[in-house]
Amino acid sequence: MAVAQVKRIAISDSPWPWLLPLTALLVVFTIYPLIYNIWLSFHEFVPKSRGLKFVGFSNWIQLWNDTRFWSALGVTFLYFIVALTIEIILGMSIALLLDAELPGFGALRAILSMTLVIPPAIAGMMFLLMQDPQFGVLPYLLDQLGILGKGTPILATSSLALAGVLVAEIWQWTPFMVLIFMAGLRALPVEPYEAASIDGASAFQMFRRLTLPMMSKVIAVAVLLRGIDLFRVFDYVFVMTSGGPGTSTYTVSLYAWQQTFSFLKWGYGATLSLTSLVIIMVMANLFIRIAKVRW
Amino acid sequence: MQQSAFARTLRTIAGWCVVGIFFFPIYFWTSVAFRDAKDIFNWPPIFVDFSPTVQNFEQVFGISLGFGPPAAVTPGGGNFYMGPRLWDSIVVASLSTVLAIVVATLAAYALSRMQFRGRHEYVNWVLSTRMMPPVAVAIPMFFIFKQFSLLDTYIGVILIHGLMNLPLAVLLLKSFFDDIPVEIDESALLDGASRWTIFRRIVLPMAKGGIAASAVLCFIFSWTEFLFVLTLTQTGLKTVPVVSSTFVTSIGTAWGNMAALGAAAIVPAFIVILLVQRHLVRGLTMGSLKQ
Repeated sequence: MAVAQVKRIAISDSPWPWLLPLTALLVVFTIYPLIYNIWLSFHEFVPKSRGLKFVGFSNWIQLWNDTRFWSALGVTFLYFIVALTIEIILGMSIALLLDAELPGFGALRAILSMTLVIPPAIAGMMFLLMQDPQFGVLPYLLDQLGILGKGTPILATSSLALAGVLVAEIWQWTPFMVLIFMAGLRALPVEPYEAASIDGASAFQMFRRLTLPMMSKVIAVAVLLRGIDLFRVFDYVFVMTSGGPGTSTYTVSLYAWQQTFSFLKWGYGATLSLTSLVIIMVMANLFIRIAKVRW
Repeated sequence: MQQSAFARTLRTIAGWCVVGIFFFPIYFWTSVAFRDAKDIFNWPPIFVDFSPTVQNFEQVFGISLGFGPPAAVTPGGGNFYMGPRLWDSIVVASLSTVLAIVVATLAAYALSRMQFRGRHEYVNWVLSTRMMPPVAVAIPMFFIFKQFSLLDTYIGVILIHGLMNLPLAVLLLKSFFDDIPVEIDESALLDGASRWTIFRRIVLPMAKGGIAASAVLCFIFSWTEFLFVLTLTQTGLKTVPVVSSTFVTSIGTAWGNMAALGAAAIVPAFIVILLVQRHLVRGLTMGSLKQ
């Protein structure tokens, strides 16, 4: 009797019928495109014959020698590092500030989550409007504060354009960090802090020695998820600058997209997008190992 | 730690100021939706003191709201008539959410409840599909869709959005299923219930809240997605984020209309996200952190 029951559980325990739809979809929509992309990277579109021609490794060689690719990679890394650093520091500061039971702080949390439901393309448009040199709010405020001259076209100045895009990025995603960090702070135990304050530790020491170590898992998850999205940034640069002026805001994703769809370099676009994929996969998996993130 | 009344007041004010800075762009954008061109293009910019109008909304939605002078609503919709595009967004987001949730609940149940070899690797594989840059999927997908005549169709966009949300939905739902004690399944199994019965009669009803929260997040990510729709559609359908570039014309940008469409797209998304506030952090971290 008991044996029959155990057997029954074991038989009904095959996970594969349950996983079949997911596996099929993921294979069709991730593995197959991946293989297709690799195949495409060894071909190039020939406008004359309107067909694909096998070109061997020439796309990969072109990639290696393409200064615009290296500059796009540089821009992407710069964007990634600046945005991530600011979002973490700002996010942690705001989370610490709001981690208290004070009048209206529950509402503040809800207001902060508003930025997360705005389509990034529309957020980009919002900041395009607010940074317009003729009537924008941001140039006006910066002019009043004496930081920028009147009528400076932030997004059309090569040295400022990336900063202009980063404003939208940081505005929209700092609340992401705040909400996650606040949840982490709330889950912290009280006892270590009581012990530390009896020992006369300063607020900064407690943050450094207690909060940061205990929050490390939370911070790692937030960094991983935000980092993946930052490295593939597309929407903001597409609507705000289209990569310009010059190549000052060209990211790898945007460059790959434009090569494929604006210049019909299908093979080269595939090569670029594969490169971006490989870099993200390597960085993310390294990070998961080092920070010991587990799902 | 006890703080003095002064410190508490200071902190309250600081909190409100910081959040005010984050709220300002949303306020300003919404206010632009209620302005006419004169008040939008003014220098110095007008912050509060503009004369409100609803004409932008009337043009975008092709309806007369009946305030002020009869608006210039073009019969049948003008260039900026976006009613059908809003409908596209709703159809794509809803159906892709259904697809993602149905497939993901099945998989999440197995991943949460059954022990099998390679489970950990399978979860990691699902997670790693979340890392693929959209551009590396969109480029091959464009050619594959072309072959199968899926370009510019609802089916195509629904499939790709559903797929895009699968890793999130699977991992998030798994975390909700993990919260339900496994002993319930075990005792039901010993009573002779099948896995399918347990799933339908016990686990699904118990995870209702979590499933709803996952669905809301899938809906929002489809609602806000840009690159796939930009790449895989031409004229047949376009969702709200992509169509906003229509307002950039050779005679200038119709900021008022764009803001009206944007505000109309943000408000429903914000209302639904408020409904799942409790699970928001868990959703944002793909089920890895619980609130």
